[in-house]
Amino acid sequence: MLRKLPAMALCLALLLGPGLCPARTLVDQADRSVVLPERPQRVVSLAPSITEVVFALGRQDLLKGTTQYSDDPPAAKELPRVGSYVRLDIEKILALKPDLCLAIKDGNPLHSVTRLEELGIPVYVVDPHNLAGIIGMITGLGEVLGAAEPATKITSAMRARAQRIAVRLGSSPSRPRVFFQIDASPIVSAGRGTFIDELINLAGGRNLAAASEGYPRFSWEELLRLDPEVAIVASMAGGFSVAELKAGWQKWPTLTAVKNQRLHVIDASLVDRPTPRLLDGLEAFARIIHPEIFGVPLAN
Amino acid sequence: MGCPLRIETWPIGRRLLLALLVLGGLLALAILLGLSLGSSPIGFGEVLDILTGRGTPDPTALAIVRQIRLPRVVLAAVTGATLALGGLVFQALLRNPLAEPYILGVSGGSAIGAIVGMLAGLAPFPGVAGAAFTGSSLVLLLLLLLSGRGMLASRDALLLGGVMLNAFCGAVIMFLISLSSREEVRHILFWLMGDLSMFTPAQFPLLLAVLPSFLLILALARPMNLLLLGRDNAATLGVNVRLVNGLLLGATTLMVSLVVCQAGLIGFVGLVVPHVLRLLLGADHRLLAPASMLGGASYLILCDLLARSLPAQGEMPVGIVTALVGAPLFIFLLWRARR
Amino acid sequence: MTAVTVRGLNLYYGQRQILTEIALEVLAGEFLVIIGPNGTGKTSLLKAMAGLLPASGTIEILGQPLAGYGRRLLARELAVVPQLTPSDFPFTVAETVLMGRSPHLGLLELEGAEDHRLARQAMAFTEVSHLADRRLDELSGGERQRVIIARAICQGPRIILLDEPTASLDPAHQVRILDLLEKLRREQGMTVIMVSHDLNLAAMYGGRLVLMSEGRIAAVGRPAEVLTVARLEACYGCRMEVVRSEVGGQLRVHPLAAVIGG
Repeated sequence: MLRKLPAMALCLALLLGPGLCPARTLVDQADRSVVLPERPQRVVSLAPSITEVVFALGRQDLLKGTTQYSDDPPAAKELPRVGSYVRLDIEKILALKPDLCLAIKDGNPLHSVTRLEELGIPVYVVDPHNLAGIIGMITGLGEVLGAAEPATKITSAMRARAQRIAVRLGSSPSRPRVFFQIDASPIVSAGRGTFIDELINLAGGRNLAAASEGYPRFSWEELLRLDPEVAIVASMAGGFSVAELKAGWQKWPTLTAVKNQRLHVIDASLVDRPTPRLLDGLEAFARIIHPEIFGVPLAN
Repeated sequence: MGCPLRIETWPIGRRLLLALLVLGGLLALAILLGLSLGSSPIGFGEVLDILTGRGTPDPTALAIVRQIRLPRVVLAAVTGATLALGGLVFQALLRNPLAEPYILGVSGGSAIGAIVGMLAGLAPFPGVAGAAFTGSSLVLLLLLLLSGRGMLASRDALLLGGVMLNAFCGAVIMFLISLSSREEVRHILFWLMGDLSMFTPAQFPLLLAVLPSFLLILALARPMNLLLLGRDNAATLGVNVRLVNGLLLGATTLMVSLVVCQAGLIGFVGLVVPHVLRLLLGADHRLLAPASMLGGASYLILCDLLARSLPAQGEMPVGIVTALVGAPLFIFLLWRARR
Repeated sequence: MTAVTVRGLNLYYGQRQILTEIALEVLAGEFLVIIGPNGTGKTSLLKAMAGLLPASGTIEILGQPLAGYGRRLLARELAVVPQLTPSDFPFTVAETVLMGRSPHLGLLELEGAEDHRLARQAMAFTEVSHLADRRLDELSGGERQRVIIARAICQGPRIILLDEPTASLDPAHQVRILDLLEKLRREQGMTVIMVSHDLNLAAMYGGRLVLMSEGRIAAVGRPAEVLTVARLEACYGCRMEVVRSEVGGQLRVHPLAAVIGG
């Protein structure tokens, strides 16, 4: 039985696809050459952010399934679930008879992607690890799903917004020390290579956690030494309420950020999803870090 | 105290036949259930058709049963059989009812190897599996050195050495976990709790490698009975104690390491299955050895089925199910034994 | 015809010497009892004869060197009844006695009709047939000893070694078991070598006695020759009285006081 597996995979590939439909080869964002149908009919998204983009491109009619926590937009809640993006339920995916799966690098496990391909399902991988990557993802998905025009519209708008901020910042010499708190107990921030780091830089601030990569931990002692001028806290960090989070900072009145009342809480989903919404996060950061240029931040 | 039927008074041949029939039937049922149930239910009839190659089954069902569920059920069966048999052997070797297949450092060593492999970003197979196997081999080597030559004859030296090594490995594991990122920790935890989902058909040859151990242990079933009398008494009844101990130890640690490196640390199979069977069938290892293999295989297939069907959101590690089922069962057995 | 020959036997436990220059000839079909104070190496001598302890010197079983016997072959000629059997042994009496047939079975062979017959015979001989389906840990000490002796008989040996078989039994059971062994010897020509604390039982049943002292043989011979006041007091370090019983003339040894001269 085992020896017949490659042959079976081939049969499956032919059977699962809608007949012998025309195919094309594209290079995805993980530099892999992928053979996929010219016009995919049944697509399964393997990450909430991908689902969000597919809806933004107006191609949600192709989506037959997605992973858990795909709640944006609300219509996505109706889609069948195929497990979580770190533990995909291959069986459920197979049962939906997809002709294409959309995966995210550094999110979906590589061996799941390999498994799906072994079973004859092409997988297109996106890698939105920074703003440029997000733009690349939207462009790529636009091409894959036959939505090149909507994709261009979205990416142009994104570029324009980022450009506007860069221009207005252009002249400002000051780069305030910024600390972004993702988690409480222990305190976790976002270092080099994260969206948050990129947003802080683009918004004209200096990320105090940039010395480390990934998500480093900090103690209050280190924070006192670093003395941020601006503190931004993700809502629901560590499960605490807004009041509790703020109270945590206000215990240290010597901190510049506390003294000058530059303590802000923002909705975490503005900065942790690799989707166009990141631009909303960028604009929020810009207002928080440089209120003198962009205007007073919106209410916490 | 024993089964009300006093099966232990039946002649060995008849007991063997009964056990093989009943447990074999149970295994067949477990396999059928394991192949039919899951995220998308597939009827028994269709499963049988797929297995026997009759009719024209739906290609999706075919793929699901043959490519996803069948490898998983096979892994569960072989792992369950290995762990149960391993537990049986160690309970006889160490003359200790609390012995289970990880007691001599296999768990600590393979866990360290696996964690190091995962932190280094290796693929589950062969990278992490290979690292896990290396880890357990190194720890066993260490145990050999520590216990010295007395090890093959003295069970206390073995036990003490093994427990100590496991404790030390536990500390190293905690240290490695503290260094890991959140994502890595989640991966590690799944491995530590047992995870049958990573199996790919490419790993079948590795599973076959446990067969020689199975055969050797089955052949040594009668000497295992005699080992329960103690070293000297077994010797006067004709057992070459050092040789038998060495062979049993080697065969068991090899096969347990092989399944652990692919399935993670699944607990309570090696501890509970032999005890339940001993209660029902008597203590003769010529009966218990094949029975443990069949029983262990069925038990793990069914636990894995629960692990992937019960939770509303994706599956939970099978080690949790075996613990939740096995621990109360074990306590119940202990309680009955006291009466 | 000798059953066991020992020449120049020396046994060490680490640095300590347990047995020194032991030389002994055990005749086939005799009832030999090894006596002596605690710690003189009686059990060690027995174990050395059974091949359980490595010792320098020569030991011959039935004319062949002990070293030349494989474990299984030895087990068919020589059976050992230990002082203690693990009490948590989870097998029934019948299963336990049947284990005596192990040295005669191939690796994967199951016991056959002949093996079962021999086991039943052995159980009848030691009068434990009515306990066949009971578990070993449910029996009294005396019953358990009889089961172990049945197992030893099942091995079909020509020599039985026993290590203090009556140590924890009441007088009735002591006599019962020793009568069994004497019967074995008389009817089947079994060579019985027994270690015992009990000088009176040794006197009653022993054809010859071996008196040991500090790892050496102090005396070998018939009970009347070995059990003399002078010898016993030298060996045991306490006052002894040796008398003949008024009922039947049996030799009796009684300790009198703890220290000589007291």
